[in-house]
Amino acid sequence: MLERYKQQYIGKNIQFVFVDHDGTVRESDQTIFHFHTGSPIAEVHPFFETLSFLEGIQENELSFNCVHLEVGDNEHIVDIRIVGQEAGLLMVIIDHTQYYQEYQTVAQARNESIIKAELIVLKNKELEERERFKNRFIQNFSHELRNPLTGIVSITNILSATHLNVQQQQLLDFLKEANTDLKSMLEDILSISMMASGKLTLKEKAFKLSNLLELLEFTYGNKAKNKGLQFLVDTDERLPEFVEGDRLRLYQVLTNLLENAIKYTESGTVSLTVDVNQKRANKVSLHFEVSDTGMGISPENHELVFESFSRLDRYDNKGGVGIGLSIVKGLLELMGSQIKMESRLGKGTRLYFDLVLKYPLHSIAKSLIKTEGNIVENTVSKRDKKYRLLLVEDDERVQMALFKILADTEHFYIELTNDGARVIEEVINNDYDLILMDVNLPNASGDHLTNIIRELPFDKVCDVPIIGITANAFDEDIKRYLRAGMNQVITKPFEAHKLLEAVFKYLRQ
Amino acid sequence: MQKSKKIVILGHFGVGKTSLIRRFVKNSFSDKYKVTIGVHISKKVVGFGSGETISMILWDLEGTDDIRMIRNPYLLGTHGAFFVFDVNRPSTFQNIQEDLAVLSKKMPEVPLLIIGNKVDLVNQDDLNILLKENDISFDFLTSAKTGEWVEDAFLQMATLLKDA
Ligand SMILES: Nc1nc2c(ncn2[C@@H]2O[C@H](COP(=O)(O)OP(=O)(O)OP(=O)(O)O)[C@@H](O)[C@H]2O)c(=O)[nH]1
Ligand SMILES: [Mg+2]
Repeated sequence: MLERYKQQYIGKNIQFVFVDHDGTVRESDQTIFHFHTGSPIAEVHPFFETLSFLEGIQENELSFNCVHLEVGDNEHIVDIRIVGQEAGLLMVIIDHTQYYQEYQTVAQARNESIIKAELIVLKNKELEERERFKNRFIQNFSHELRNPLTGIVSITNILSATHLNVQQQQLLDFLKEANTDLKSMLEDILSISMMASGKLTLKEKAFKLSNLLELLEFTYGNKAKNKGLQFLVDTDERLPEFVEGDRLRLYQVLTNLLENAIKYTESGTVSLTVDVNQKRANKVSLHFEVSDTGMGISPENHELVFESFSRLDRYDNKGGVGIGLSIVKGLLELMGSQIKMESRLGKGTRLYFDLVLKYPLHSIAKSLIKTEGNIVENTVSKRDKKYRLLLVEDDERVQMALFKILADTEHFYIELTNDGARVIEEVINNDYDLILMDVNLPNASGDHLTNIIRELPFDKVCDVPIIGITANAFDEDIKRYLRAGMNQVITKPFEAHKLLEAVFKYLRQ
Repeated sequence: MQKSKKIVILGHFGVGKTSLIRRFVKNSFSDKYKVTIGVHISKKVVGFGSGETISMILWDLEGTDDIRMIRNPYLLGTHGAFFVFDVNRPSTFQNIQEDLAVLSKKMPEVPLLIIGNKVDLVNQDDLNILLKENDISFDFLTSAKTGEWVEDAFLQMATLLKDA
């Protein structure tokens, strides 16, 4: 009985063929394919055309698995077993079509998914490469742009020191403003692409927090006043005097927040609040908050404002490339913090974050207070280099006198400002080699400005030599100016060579 | 008498082995990928100027990322071999030196041509740099899709085998 079942099962699936030594089909049971007896087996299918090497495999057995055979319209996937016999070859063909088709489906899915995964990895690599290229390009490009821009800024300043009529002066003021905007846009784009390429790293150092806040109060107090806004700074009494962190980046975060607040507020108040959440061991958690009574942001745009290059209203002609808040977000993430926002359309916006900073013990802090730097003695000798000099002076006659003395040496690019409030901005945005500053300015005092410059969070900028010019010949005044951080004070009236001597003394060769 | 020559086409899966044969034998191409399992055998008779012809029996083998796994009987009696890689997928040529070493051990003295396929998908300059950087030698850079260099590769093989 079993034999019958066996026949039923395997009978249909197995074909026996006998081929003689000449390759002629001698016998075939034709179960799966029809083989003409008496014809060369090579004519049945090319598979058999390449079996000549099998001559003399006598007594040996060879297996070919999973061979696709088509004979006429008849197509099967088979295993072929070839057994050497005395009179020729016995071929056993076993049909496994169904089994192999299932296997094919599995292999199909497997191969496709492997290839797909591989191509995704490749694609990502390519995208990363392109992103890297883009960032490198932006970085190089913005660096390159700085040079011509510096030229434009210098020439604008030189022009503004010449005799101009009211209209020309106005046009020049526009030009100056445009220069400043362009410059800060460049810096922003640079920062964001450095962040994207992971090149931006924090430089942590101890610094005096109150100085940073004072600088912001000064700069933005002026900006707010110009726009008719009120600017309030509210700080917690428990703020540590010194903290350890990246003051440049913290400054960048706060200026971006304040810049935005003022830009989007037409009336009312902009305020900066700094509170102490808690102080533990040598760590302090601070709460920073910038709030305004401006136009506000509708809820559906809350996420959007933190993305680069997506300003809410593209046609609001407020200037800027709209990347300020995305810089804030990126920088704070780098510092392990997170920017949060509450805003109501037409009511105003509150942007805040908590920041944990270390604060050094008092003894360390003391050593941070600046000691007088080494100054190289220099005379008015022949030098090839041209220096960038900022002249802060409101009296036109003194301006012209100074300008003439300095310009005649042909060693200087001179920039002029008569507005105390703009000094800090100019100093931050330019790498000056020296500043000549009148102590009595219309809206700020020279020693106060010097104090702020000395505490600026930019390494190169805060060390710039400052020479004070004053009509106050009193010793105690001069001492006060020097204490504020001026390198030297010259009293009016001064002689040309005295002035030049002083200037060259502080210029690096 | 017409000579029959057995040629195996080897390489990782999806590199275009089946497509190259289809282009050579039927001068057609399909974008759809159907995984080959086991072996498909097809034939093309090639004539030479001398009037001589040879019958190329092309064994299109299931692709694998481990060349050592190829079933040995498939390679028995081979006269010539192609090793195909996909210029688009480094994984198909990263270990080419080892793969070729394995093949020459399995089939000593069998002429072998190396084909980099799917050149239509890449920039030729980038490709040259890539191949140079990875120190990859090849005999033909082909595209089964456009047909470029496909016939040349097979005819080169035919010429090699004609006098063997
Ligand atoms: N663009 C392009 N695609 C190709 C080329 N050659 C093959 N392909 C595509 O690549 C995929 C795989 O081609 P196949 O010829 O099936 O590859 P294979 O090497 O036989 O793959 P296995 O049988 O799995 O080993 C298919 O989708 C083809 O259409 C080519 O030259 N250019
Ligand atoms: Mg295939």
